[in-house]
Amino acid sequence: MHVMFVFQSRGGGGGRVEEMGIMRQCGTLLSGGADGVADEWVVGAIRPGKMLAEKYCFFQSPSIMSKRKGKDAHLPVGECITLVQQILRERLCHQQLPDKPDGIEAQHKHLLELLKRTAVHGESNSVLIVGPRGAGKTMLLKCVLRDLLEEKEAQKNLLQVHLNGLLQTDDRIALKEITRQLHLENVVGDKVFGSFAENLAFLLEALKKGDRSSSRPVLFVLDEFDLFAHHKNQTLLYNLFDVSQSAQAPIAVVGVTCRLDVLELLEKRVKSRFSHRQIHLLSNLTFTEYLERVQTQLCLPDDFPDSKFAQDWNDSIMTLCEDKSVEEVLQRHFNSSKDFRSMHMLLMLCLSRVSVAKPAIKPADLLEASRLCFADAKANMLHGLSILELCLIIAMKHLNDVYEGEPFNLQMVHNEFKKFLQRKSNSMYNFDQPVIMKAFEHLQQLELIRPADGSSAKTQREYQLMRLMLDHSQIMEALQKYPQCPTDVKQWAMSAFG
Amino acid sequence: MTREDILSQLLTRSRSRTRALAQRLSPPPGPASPSLAPRKAPAAWPPPGPPPQQTVSSETESSRRVQQVRVHLTQHRHLDASVSPQQGDVMEAELPSGTEKTPRRRNATSRRKSATRGQQATTPSRKKESKTLREPALGVLAEVDNENSPMLPANATPRSSKRKSAQLVSSRIRKQLNLLESRQDLDSDREDEDEFVPSKKELQSSSEEEEEEEEEAGLDSDDEVVTKKSRHAAAGSRTPRSKQKSRSSTRTPRKTPNKKIAPSTPRTPRHATPSIPSRSLPARQPANVLEEARTRLHVSSVPESLPCREQEFQDIYSFVESKIIDGTGGCMYISGVPGTGKTATVHEVMRCLQHAADVDEIPPFHFIEINGMKMTDPHQAYVQILQKLTGQKATADHAAALLEKRFSNPAPRKESTVLLVDELDLLWTRKQNVMYNLFDWPTRRHARLVVLTIANTMDLPERIMINRVASRLGLTRMSFQPYSFKQLQQIITSRLNKVKAFEEDALQLVSRKVAALSGDARRCLDICRRATEICEHSSADTSATGLVGMSHVMEALNEMFSSAYITAIKCASLQEQLFLRAVIAEFRRLGLEEATFQQVFVQHQALCRVEGLQPVSVSEGLAVCQRLGACRLLLLEPSRLGVLQRVRLNVSQDDVLYALKAD
Repeated sequence: MHVMFVFQSRGGGGGRVEEMGIMRQCGTLLSGGADGVADEWVVGAIRPGKMLAEKYCFFQSPSIMSKRKGKDAHLPVGECITLVQQILRERLCHQQLPDKPDGIEAQHKHLLELLKRTAVHGESNSVLIVGPRGAGKTMLLKCVLRDLLEEKEAQKNLLQVHLNGLLQTDDRIALKEITRQLHLENVVGDKVFGSFAENLAFLLEALKKGDRSSSRPVLFVLDEFDLFAHHKNQTLLYNLFDVSQSAQAPIAVVGVTCRLDVLELLEKRVKSRFSHRQIHLLSNLTFTEYLERVQTQLCLPDDFPDSKFAQDWNDSIMTLCEDKSVEEVLQRHFNSSKDFRSMHMLLMLCLSRVSVAKPAIKPADLLEASRLCFADAKANMLHGLSILELCLIIAMKHLNDVYEGEPFNLQMVHNEFKKFLQRKSNSMYNFDQPVIMKAFEHLQQLELIRPADGSSAKTQREYQLMRLMLDHSQIMEALQKYPQCPTDVKQWAMSAFG
Repeated sequence: MTREDILSQLLTRSRSRTRALAQRLSPPPGPASPSLAPRKAPAAWPPPGPPPQQTVSSETESSRRVQQVRVHLTQHRHLDASVSPQQGDVMEAELPSGTEKTPRRRNATSRRKSATRGQQATTPSRKKESKTLREPALGVLAEVDNENSPMLPANATPRSSKRKSAQLVSSRIRKQLNLLESRQDLDSDREDEDEFVPSKKELQSSSEEEEEEEEEAGLDSDDEVVTKKSRHAAAGSRTPRSKQKSRSSTRTPRKTPNKKIAPSTPRTPRHATPSIPSRSLPARQPANVLEEARTRLHVSSVPESLPCREQEFQDIYSFVESKIIDGTGGCMYISGVPGTGKTATVHEVMRCLQHAADVDEIPPFHFIEINGMKMTDPHQAYVQILQKLTGQKATADHAAALLEKRFSNPAPRKESTVLLVDELDLLWTRKQNVMYNLFDWPTRRHARLVVLTIANTMDLPERIMINRVASRLGLTRMSFQPYSFKQLQQIITSRLNKVKAFEEDALQLVSRKVAALSGDARRCLDICRRATEICEHSSADTSATGLVGMSHVMEALNEMFSSAYITAIKCASLQEQLFLRAVIAEFRRLGLEEATFQQVFVQHQALCRVEGLQPVSVSEGLAVCQRLGACRLLLLEPSRLGVLQRVRLNVSQDDVLYALKAD
């Protein structure tokens, strides 16, 4: 079974931050109260922030999962399974950094050298880390910071400021956050008072007073860097880059973004002050490497307490990866995206199927997980519709065919439906206009249909022009799987003309 | 017998004495006489029923006493301000009034004039002086930083030591007060120098309630009276004049931003010093040639001279110099693309002029700098100018009014002000009043203001300024051309200053490349810096010359100038590449550069079949599309439109095809 969360945005106003709040709540909900639905998988279909849904995936936390396995704790194999779950989950949920970055050594070295020079020599720098989502940008940065802070000289000196474009949505908030994280003297407790202008002047003054050799270097990490470029006048970016290019306190500005055209967003004087250093994380991964990565992600470390179990587990993983069907599934995933996050998601689904009774990942698990991953959200939503709503969808499909994608209104759909009833319906009866209207509105709420662009909201609801947001393939797929769908409805759907 | 009684008794005594003194001396000259009037008329005091210490200050002829009282008032206010923190920030402005001693000489000379002159003439000059005085004092303050109270006694010392009569009076008062309270100073170490601490305490305790009202309502007139008084008293006795003058003058600007100036002794967070903590371990010095070169090539390092901008330097220099020497005002508009050394040249000019002023070749002047990008709102410009000019803080409207007054009123011995306005275009407002004022002030007869404005576009005055603003800006324009490759080469060479780290050819390549693209010196330096890094890494394995060669520079150039789109397409997953091909196929079919996802998806399915891949579901296709959109290889409508969203390419079709073919 899989649970689907559908967040609909009414009026389309919701900002990104708001969505993130929803995601957070969703996450706590899942980790906190998911005991009852232990085995079910949760897929958040969250719209319109699709990107967020990808980035902020929440899984049931390891502690809860291990509690669930706790009933087998007296068995050694049960304990082993608990441990396996814990180790692998930490790995897959990005809680644990890899010991060394695979495949991006050059970038790692470049960034490490750069930040080291800021920390040790007090040289100001600015750099952008650019790469598609899930390419490991944040992981790279975290690895570099971990390695950097191992050095005592850097650890003692470096101040860090972490900002995120989704949280610091304008310069006012960003400035307060910087001041707070730097613990400047105008911070009271954990709050920063004063007007925007004062805060800016204060921060600039503070940075100006510093100099290369005597003040502590500051590292600014700007996550979702492209969003900062949308702030008014790009004041924050200008000032940060200006400090980095003048004899003031040494700072390093590290921007993390997935937009390749990020430099074009910068205003010309901001751009001139940026050092134009870009670290691209474009993985040139081959399928063999991908397969290896899957294997290493699933293998247990050598220091696993029960060495025999570890051996067995690793052997089973080896055989799993050699399996033809598994390879096919992975190839399909690889073809779809090289994103590590989606791979981790797939492996996570497999992992959750491991239990005491079945202490290994079987190819069937992977197939099932892949099926879930590739499941079409919209088609799944159609499964939950009533027959009437389904009939309306089919009528819309026919209208789309006839009028070549022109928008339709409720009356047209109803007429189409009535034509079907007159001609060949045995199992269906006509419904009253209000019932049809209700069904239509429900479809709109599910965003299976949406008002056409030009139509004004003032027109009577029956005549408001709508568009179908489904592809034909989705409708047909849903019909195949719809439980107890009347045959005549199915035939109507498949027939060329209504 | 209450303390008030004692005080008033003491004061009447001292008053009669000074009166006698005044009679003995020649009567004050004509123009000064009106200034006596408010002093004698008690009606000039705004609050009804003034507290005893006010009578003290109003009646006494010893202006030194008045000063002392004022100081205590201030101190008292410091205490007040700890309650209301937003008043605390003006403390810097207030404090130095007592501390400055250095500029006494000038005060003394100016006083000689002002004492005989009309009041109208003296007021601005006082103001002026206060402004000049403040700046050094601020520096002092920054060092002393925290301790406020010890400073006041300290500044009291020289005064009292100089003025015999006043010393006498004060010591007498002190004796009386000591008798009355029979208590010692809290700080025994400053007892010998600080004579008025007891009285301060008394004042505070006796009159807290009235004082607050008085401060709100009556400080303006209070100030005036005080200053007048001091002037008068100074006319009577010659020795202490300079001192008083300076003190009274520093008070004057308080007239308007009265409420703001209520500094605090215990530091509220408002009063925090802006600073980055200093490092525990010192920064490492460059160890080898390449590191040394890197340090020199960093944009932040200040070069000894600015090569290649000699002509511009000369023009700006002579413009500003002539204005300063003539004591007139003027505007200059400097334009040029980023990284052509506009701000650096102006700074260099200012350094030279400052040097010339130091050796007395030209009259002294102020240099103030504001930057449109470093303020949150165009109107903040007023606030920043005022603060840099006088150290006071005020709201934007208030600051504008103060500046207006300052620049339109005549004042003798006013120094010229040079104002640099960087990123001028950001000061644009709908009514353009900020720009209007900035360009209007220099035209005032008494302003002595030189405004240098910097922006990127050459036609900014024509493009965004309304006529009356553009006309005031005038036609003194200068544009900085992008650097030519020779100039860039010279810049690098002069920065390197004989540190041999680059091959000649490598330098030439960088400068030619940058000159061809933008002529941005920052870019040039950044590329060189990156090249040294690349060289450092590569020299580890190949023991080459150790110099930065052509190959390193080429690599750095590639890194910085090559677009990542093609690599990104090459590195994309198979489905993503297929989707891009589907997009192009659909564009060709439609003959348009835009298609809906649904249309592209049909093509995508077809391509999948051709390639022998499993067809993708709509969700998967959308995900692929979104990923491409996130990288901005595609431009997409908001994702909530689902299959209806329109798709456009953000790269040229040729680039896509090239990238896909190269596989």
